[in-house]
Amino acid sequence: MTTTTLARGLRLDGVTVLKLSVLALVGVLIAAPLLRIVLDTLAPDAIIAWSEVTTGRLSRNLLWLPLINTLILGVVVACGCVLIGGFLAWLVVMTDVPWRRTIGLMATLPFMIPSFATALAWGSLFRNSRVGGQSGFLEGLGLAIPDWLSWGMVPTLIVLIAHYYSLAFTVIAAALATVNSDLVEAAEIAGAKRSRILFGIVLPVALPAVVAGASLTFAGAVSNFAAPALLGLPVRMQTMATRLFGLIEVGQTARGYVIAILLIVISALFLWAGNAVVSGRRSYATITGKGGRAKRFQLGAARGPLFVVAALICLLTTVVPVVILIASSLAPSSSALLSNWTLHYWIGASDPSIAQGQPGIFSNPFILSGTSMTLALGATVAITTTVAGLLVAFVLARYGRGPLAGAINQLSFLPLLVPGIAFGAAYIALFGAPIGPFPALYGTFPLLVLAGTAYLMPFAVQTGRAVIQQVSGDLDESARMTGASFPRRLAAITVPLASRGLAAGALIVFVKIMRDLSLVVLLFTPTTPLLSVLAYRYASEGFGQFANAITVVILVISIVATLLANRLQTKSQPWLKS
Amino acid sequence: MTIRRYFVAALLAGIALPAFAQQDAALDAMTAEELLPRARQEGTVTVYAFTSRIARVETAFEEAYPGIDMIAYDMSSTEQITRIKAEASAGIANVDVVYISDAPVVYTELLGPGLVLPYVPPRVVPLLDDSEKFPLLAQRLSTKVLMYNEEAHPNGSPVTNLWQLTTPDWTGRVIMVDPLQRGDYLDLMTEFVLQADAMAAAHEAQFGEPVTLDEGIANAGEQFIVDLFANDLILVSSTDDVNAAIGVVGQDNPPIGFTSYSDRRDNEDEGWALQVANTVEPSNGIIFPAVLAVAANAPHPAAARLAIDFLMGDDSDTGGPGFAPFYVAGDYATRSDVVSHPDAVPLDEFIAWPIDPAATAQIRQEVGDLVLSLQ
Amino acid sequence: MIRLENLGKSFGKFDAVREVSLEVPKGAFLVLVGPSGCGKSTMLRMLAGLETPTSGRIVFGKDTVSDGEKGWTIDPARRNVGLVFQSYALWPHMTVAGNVDWPLKVAGLGKPERRQRTDEVLRLLAIDGLAGRYPNEISGGQQQRVAIARMIAPRPGILLFDEPLSNLDAKLRVEMRTELLRVHRATGATSVYVTHDQVEAMTMASHVAVLNGGRVEQFDPPAGLVADPHTAFVATFVGTPPANLVPVSALPPMLAQDLPADASAMYRPEDLSVSTGAGATSLAFDFAEASPVAGRVMITGTREDRRLTAVVDGAPAFAVGDTAHFVLPPKPAAIFAANGERLS
Repeated sequence: MTTTTLARGLRLDGVTVLKLSVLALVGVLIAAPLLRIVLDTLAPDAIIAWSEVTTGRLSRNLLWLPLINTLILGVVVACGCVLIGGFLAWLVVMTDVPWRRTIGLMATLPFMIPSFATALAWGSLFRNSRVGGQSGFLEGLGLAIPDWLSWGMVPTLIVLIAHYYSLAFTVIAAALATVNSDLVEAAEIAGAKRSRILFGIVLPVALPAVVAGASLTFAGAVSNFAAPALLGLPVRMQTMATRLFGLIEVGQTARGYVIAILLIVISALFLWAGNAVVSGRRSYATITGKGGRAKRFQLGAARGPLFVVAALICLLTTVVPVVILIASSLAPSSSALLSNWTLHYWIGASDPSIAQGQPGIFSNPFILSGTSMTLALGATVAITTTVAGLLVAFVLARYGRGPLAGAINQLSFLPLLVPGIAFGAAYIALFGAPIGPFPALYGTFPLLVLAGTAYLMPFAVQTGRAVIQQVSGDLDESARMTGASFPRRLAAITVPLASRGLAAGALIVFVKIMRDLSLVVLLFTPTTPLLSVLAYRYASEGFGQFANAITVVILVISIVATLLANRLQTKSQPWLKS
Repeated sequence: MTIRRYFVAALLAGIALPAFAQQDAALDAMTAEELLPRARQEGTVTVYAFTSRIARVETAFEEAYPGIDMIAYDMSSTEQITRIKAEASAGIANVDVVYISDAPVVYTELLGPGLVLPYVPPRVVPLLDDSEKFPLLAQRLSTKVLMYNEEAHPNGSPVTNLWQLTTPDWTGRVIMVDPLQRGDYLDLMTEFVLQADAMAAAHEAQFGEPVTLDEGIANAGEQFIVDLFANDLILVSSTDDVNAAIGVVGQDNPPIGFTSYSDRRDNEDEGWALQVANTVEPSNGIIFPAVLAVAANAPHPAAARLAIDFLMGDDSDTGGPGFAPFYVAGDYATRSDVVSHPDAVPLDEFIAWPIDPAATAQIRQEVGDLVLSLQ
Repeated sequence: MIRLENLGKSFGKFDAVREVSLEVPKGAFLVLVGPSGCGKSTMLRMLAGLETPTSGRIVFGKDTVSDGEKGWTIDPARRNVGLVFQSYALWPHMTVAGNVDWPLKVAGLGKPERRQRTDEVLRLLAIDGLAGRYPNEISGGQQQRVAIARMIAPRPGILLFDEPLSNLDAKLRVEMRTELLRVHRATGATSVYVTHDQVEAMTMASHVAVLNGGRVEQFDPPAGLVADPHTAFVATFVGTPPANLVPVSALPPMLAQDLPADASAMYRPEDLSVSTGAGATSLAFDFAEASPVAGRVMITGTREDRRLTAVVDGAPAFAVGDTAHFVLPPKPAAIFAANGERLS
């Protein structure tokens, strides 16, 4: 009797304890900060912020105008991204356009370039003299750049579309690749014209991917901070993200949290709606055919022109911004990008006659410590996130039934709906002050690690799931039959089999942290300098060259890490070679 | 020397927590020479400063006191206040010296709750007015005043009355930093409201008729702010952007705007032609103190005091290396023994309104909300 | 000894296994056979301890290892069982020897001991030459041997097999059946073997449990199943070829009399004969196929949705489309009610 109860206790509690601890993990990391900002705005002295923000005299500028701008950004960027990304995906996957592989590769690159890099590059080219400081290259050439092209909505839209279209491309191309050429040929035999095939066969099959691409880019655009901050604020164009940042920076936290909550709700609403549209339909993606497309759309005379269009899009969104960034980190004046190049902004010592005595970035101890801090953060978060993601994915895969697992599942994907800047605000709210016996984490490295881990949890869980699927249930169960404990199975079976996939996932996490601005812009303190925030601050203080130089550093690290990740992902495990 | 170091070490080691206040008082009374060995012991001093010129102070300080590492962070006053409050609620002792403008907020939000402590180096006590010693030590007076491009306007300021900034002549050509991002500029806006009577008189002087107030607008000062924003006021995020916009030489029709008089010092280096408009009705802006304080839980209390002592300059006419970055036209030393900069308008001829921190603090949030509603 | 008492397992509202009770002695070779979805794999997973029953008990020897009423089960590793997965589940990043060695390592055996045991089982399964290879470098049959070697290495008292031969080609399957039985005897363990192939069940088992819809239809030695099927399902599921079941309503009137109208009559294939002309006790079917079986001929005819199979010494040469007349014996071998129950 004793043994049975004991056995029962051990076994039941083993799983339950595991579930409970994972739930506690995602609860503390994800749910608690979000709950905290909601509770903070409901405090007696803060609750007035709700009416101030939504209905009061200030609501127009606090909420409604930024909300309208945010929605315009979201909708236009989503449409633009789906059009451009879809067009390129169609060209690459379904037609006989030349240089398909190259276009396909280049179309995935813009997402690797941080959006603030693209925004800075835009400024270097298109700035006009409206807000003073240096004017851009084009005005330096004697062209008059109108305000609407220099600042505000139009450049923000262009920069965001240039940044996010590769997301739509990736999703739609993957879906189009599943359109079996048999489907198209069957339609051709039935006598359908090319346009009929496109709208009658190809688009319906790709529709879920189009909707997914649209809602992902929408969510990205509404929560993007860098582009509207750099290009919109000078003409007083506020989005909810910049408004939130401004309010927190001046200490109006209650109003800021209200904006943060509303931003989360909007972002979540649209993602949910997109999801509902997709899941309401049957998934066509399962109808897969043989790999390899026997027959491609013959573009005929349009082949050349369409290729030029695609190549231009790719060049303008990848090579051109990078070249501009490098040039403008070398040129003393962005109106003469190609003249008087100097390495001062990179390695020069402090010189009172240049940029108020700012030393070059590699001579600036603050930036050097920022570099090591950023690398350390990237590496640490890559590890913590991967471990946490694997743990969550494992529990979901193995013990996925019941309300506990449901809660874990929902919570671990919640950050997808939460814009980075709102997440940052929530983290300050929760960890800014001591909690019981735990010291406050404000301004400490662990806070950045926690926030980064939570923020990238959905991504890590996804990686973990893929990895666990790779290591089929039987492999783990057969290890379980031997009596190996969970950690031991993880170490001896799961991790070795999954290591490359995990390493690739970890590298992507590393890159995401390296180039992230929106999450860390509020968590930044002088004691925890991070490159992206330093670049943003240099840019907003008018030291464009330094900002661009730092951005180039981020870019180089990101690209190296991404290429490494791709290599790891494509290179198969040696024991799988046949 | 070594014996003394042992002595100091023993002394420091013996200090218990409740003795802090006593220790502060003891440190407050020490001369720089007495502070130095303790500061050396502490090794570093962390400064939050609202000006990029702190970098030059850092170099000079480390030259003057080798072995003490000054870690200086250039942060706007607004940001400093947010951070210091956050750090305090987080129980983190990070900063030693706070060098900050935004006096109205500093007095109410930092000094009031005891997040920063006053400190006046004993040697400068006789050289300062009382208002420059209480409630916090004022190192210098800084400005946010109307500046124009003297190359484009060689005959003096193109604006002689602030209300002219609300006329079509200057539509889209008045520039300043967003008052919601920089407290100095919010103080400037607040001063317009506090000086509503003077603004009303200036309106009559300019247009020959009394100001008509919009609905919900209480006085001429607020009306000025409303009209200024309505005239496509350009807001940027840093004073350097303002300076460059106004000051860059070779412009046909440069904008005008509010910035620091002292930025005129960079005219040569940056290729600017900034000049102050000192013939404006009713005033050209505000003049306000830049204050120095010791953080309440400064991890390096002796070095903090030594740094403040250094920032107050030496006994030479120009204040020496510690004050050198601030001995420029447009900054006014509080020390009575530092002579006025030869290129600057003497302080007694300068028409800017000196701010009243207490009165400003009272209505600052309201004015901030007004500005917010106009954006 | 393995004893199942009223064992049941439901997933939500779906009952995968219901009220299964049976017992086999130590050293038995128990085969669980049935069509896909009959609950046999779930039963095996409960025996392995990978699933907890929702009712009933599992007893190994004197120990209760799972108790559905109390909702507990002893951990797989501590119930002295080994399991061969249908997919073999060889760890692809370990060599053949590594796959066999690792469970021993987990069990805490010393290195020399492990080495000796690994060599021993690899030799037993005649794969000692492959020790250094990775699973993807060896054939399917060799992988199967590795999986078995890995299972028996820790000397479990009970061997569990989950359709282990289903991925092999026909010839290899026959070989491996023999091999498995040899291993079974060599270890002296009790084996439980799950398959949907009744031939495997009939050839290997000491005891067979025929499962259908989560229930045991019949639990007997192989010969008993063929000689004395308890249900219509068992009658048509076991035997090579399985027995014929003809509804009484479709029988020639002469044979149908005295039989309950809604019942079905069972006729063994070897009791039937085939002719080209109709007779009083014959049924007309369309000739479908004929194949030689061990010196005799197996003839199948179809009509509507029914099939009839006869095994005869010799038969007229039919072409597809011809009508074959199957002559039935005067008495059916058994009679089943409409619900499948045996009447006589």
